Amino acid sequence: MIPLTHFLIVGACLFAIGLYTVMARRNAILVLVGIELMINAAILNLVAFSRYDKTAYGGQAFALFAIVLAAAAVAVALAIILNAYKFYKSVNPEDIRNLKD
Amino acid sequence: MPTTALTYPLLAALSAVLLPFAGFLLSAALGKRAGNGAVATSAILLSLLAACYAFAQIWNQPPIHIQWHWFTIGEQAFHVGVLLDNMAVMMLVLVSLIALPVHIYSAAYMKGDPGIHRYWTYLSLFCFAMLGLVVADNLLLMYICWELVGFASYLLIGFWFTKDAAVQANKKAFIVNRIGDIGFLIGMALTYSHLGTLDTKALIEAPETLPAPWLTVAGLAFFLGAMAKSAQFPLHVWLPDAMEGPTSVSSLIHAATMVAAGVFLLARIFPVFDATVLLVIATIGTVTAFAAAYFALTQYDIKNILAFSTISQLGFMMVGIGIGMYPVALFHLATHAFFKCLLFLCAGAIIHEMQHAKETYGLDMDPQDIRNMGGLRKHMPLTFTAMLIASLALAGFPFTGGYLSKDALIVHTFEWAALQSGAAKLIPYVLVAVSMLTSFYILRLLAKVFFGSLSIRSVKKDIRIHEAPMRMLGPMLFLAGCSLFPLFSVNPLNDSYVWLMQGLTSPVSTLPPLRLLHLAIPVLTTGVTCIVAGVAWQWYVNGKYPLKGGGLFYRLSEHQGYLDALYGAAVVRPVVRLSQLLLWVDHYVVDGMVNGLSALGRSFAAVAAWLDQRLVDGFVRLIGKIAWGLGNVFRRLQNGRLQHYFATLFFIILVILLYHIVVLL
Repeated sequence: MIPLTHFLIVGACLFAIGLYTVMARRNAILVLVGIELMINAAILNLVAFSRYDKTAYGGQAFALFAIVLAAAAVAVALAIILNAYKFYKSVNPEDIRNLKD
Repeated sequence: MPTTALTYPLLAALSAVLLPFAGFLLSAALGKRAGNGAVATSAILLSLLAACYAFAQIWNQPPIHIQWHWFTIGEQAFHVGVLLDNMAVMMLVLVSLIALPVHIYSAAYMKGDPGIHRYWTYLSLFCFAMLGLVVADNLLLMYICWELVGFASYLLIGFWFTKDAAVQANKKAFIVNRIGDIGFLIGMALTYSHLGTLDTKALIEAPETLPAPWLTVAGLAFFLGAMAKSAQFPLHVWLPDAMEGPTSVSSLIHAATMVAAGVFLLARIFPVFDATVLLVIATIGTVTAFAAAYFALTQYDIKNILAFSTISQLGFMMVGIGIGMYPVALFHLATHAFFKCLLFLCAGAIIHEMQHAKETYGLDMDPQDIRNMGGLRKHMPLTFTAMLIASLALAGFPFTGGYLSKDALIVHTFEWAALQSGAAKLIPYVLVAVSMLTSFYILRLLAKVFFGSLSIRSVKKDIRIHEAPMRMLGPMLFLAGCSLFPLFSVNPLNDSYVWLMQGLTSPVSTLPPLRLLHLAIPVLTTGVTCIVAGVAWQWYVNGKYPLKGGGLFYRLSEHQGYLDALYGAAVVRPVVRLSQLLLWVDHYVVDGMVNGLSALGRSFAAVAAWLDQRLVDGFVRLIGKIAWGLGNVFRRLQNGRLQHYFATLFFIILVILLYHIVVLL
């Protein structure tokens, strides 16, 4: 049986990779990918912790909700990126600075 | 009981008093336009006429007393009023009769003085004050006039206020008179507290209302007032200094207005004085008469000699009061007024002409110093005649007014001394000696001024002294006439015919007569006068002056008994020291305290300001700076870059996590 710690380490690595991707990438799509990675790291944790909830499987249920929500979020985010691209002719987050207004 | 009906004599007396006041107001209002003195002179002329009418109506008639309600304090009503009896009307006429020639004389004497309009104003005020004093029926009113007399004399003595000596002299006169005024005030206070009124009549009709010791105190207090006003030893020091005023003013001060006030006051409230006070008065009078005559012997300033002779004669009058014969004192006051006024007017004429010569020939000399004169008999014969008459009157030579009054005084003093015991018996003998001294110093003055040869001719041969102008000679000759006997008595040699004394004599003031003395004393004094005159003639005119001078008695006399030096050391210097000390205290302690407090306040304020600026403002500014700095820091964060936001977010979460880890573990 794989101990919980290993899951958590993998989740943490996954989260760290996602975080780095989000912060370092120059492409909004890849930033989105990084977000997905972080969400999945969280989901992995939920699933891993659900081992301790063998009766209701609350963690797995939450994971399902999170996957659905992530998919919805990706859909919305992609739409935003598309619109932003149309407006700015770029998907580099560095070029889009109007958020500070 | 005082009447309230206005009768003609009363109106005349009132107008005699108020006309000079009107003259004063008018002169003051006209200012420089009143420079010729017409207003003041006509006021005093009308006043004289009114006074003469009042005199003719009231003399030897029942006195007129009128009162009006003045003011009320609590239950006590004060009245203002006029009391016209023989004494008052006599003085009324005397004052205006002396003042009129002085006014006329002044017009010539003061001609060309730049401040002459002030002179007339003050002169009218002076006459008004004196006339008011004479008719007042009330001590308070009298006191007001008394102060006015003092104030007017202050103004007139310091008339040439650019001269430092004159300013010092008027200050001195004023201050010395204040000492006497305190006495008057104390007397008034005692009168009021025991009698409940200030009416002179109430006081003199019932002096025994005052309990015995207080009666003496009140008498002494009133006498202190008279001492200062009438220049009695040792308060006489203001009078020789008062010579700094114009000579015409001196003649008025010395004859009728100022110094007479003290004697008049004593005569007015005579019944107040008990035996002790009377003895004090007689003693002080004798001392004054002697000391002043002694000081007069060696003076060289013509006006100073006359000033001391006035003091001496006032001493005689005081003796007259002291022996209880106030009619004699008043009679002497009257005769003295004429011849003393005349002496001063003559002296003024001489000084005037000497000053004229000084300016004409460009001499460097004191026009008042008798050593510069001599032989003026030939230059100013009319002045000489007038001065001779006045001097003989002063010396008490027969056929003059002075003879009548002075011998009457000495005779009555002998009569009084016969009833006394102890040292008081000496008083008449001292007076005889004083009258010898008097003859001597006045003949010395005459000899030095009018006989011999003109001293200043040794400087310049052709010096000529002119006779005084007619406008000055007129008043002088008029007064010379008044100094002779016919004004006072039909019999030139016997004082019992003097109508003035007969009018004034009251039942309280009679002494058992010693008939023999009435013959012996005049013969004696006249004889002595003649001998002394001979001696003076021999010494000063023939130049056989036997004394070397410079001895102790000579110096004592020349320096007027060193009284001024004594007062300077005993009174003036300590007062000045005290003032300096107080000034120091004021400067360094009182001001120092205030300044210290203010310095303390200022330093507190400085500390508070520092605290306010550095601490309070600093704190506020610090907060502002912190906010600004934080803003500056956080401004950077909001740069619009999405990834930076993420990084920040992550960082914050990391910090929170670390915090939780650190705190919870």
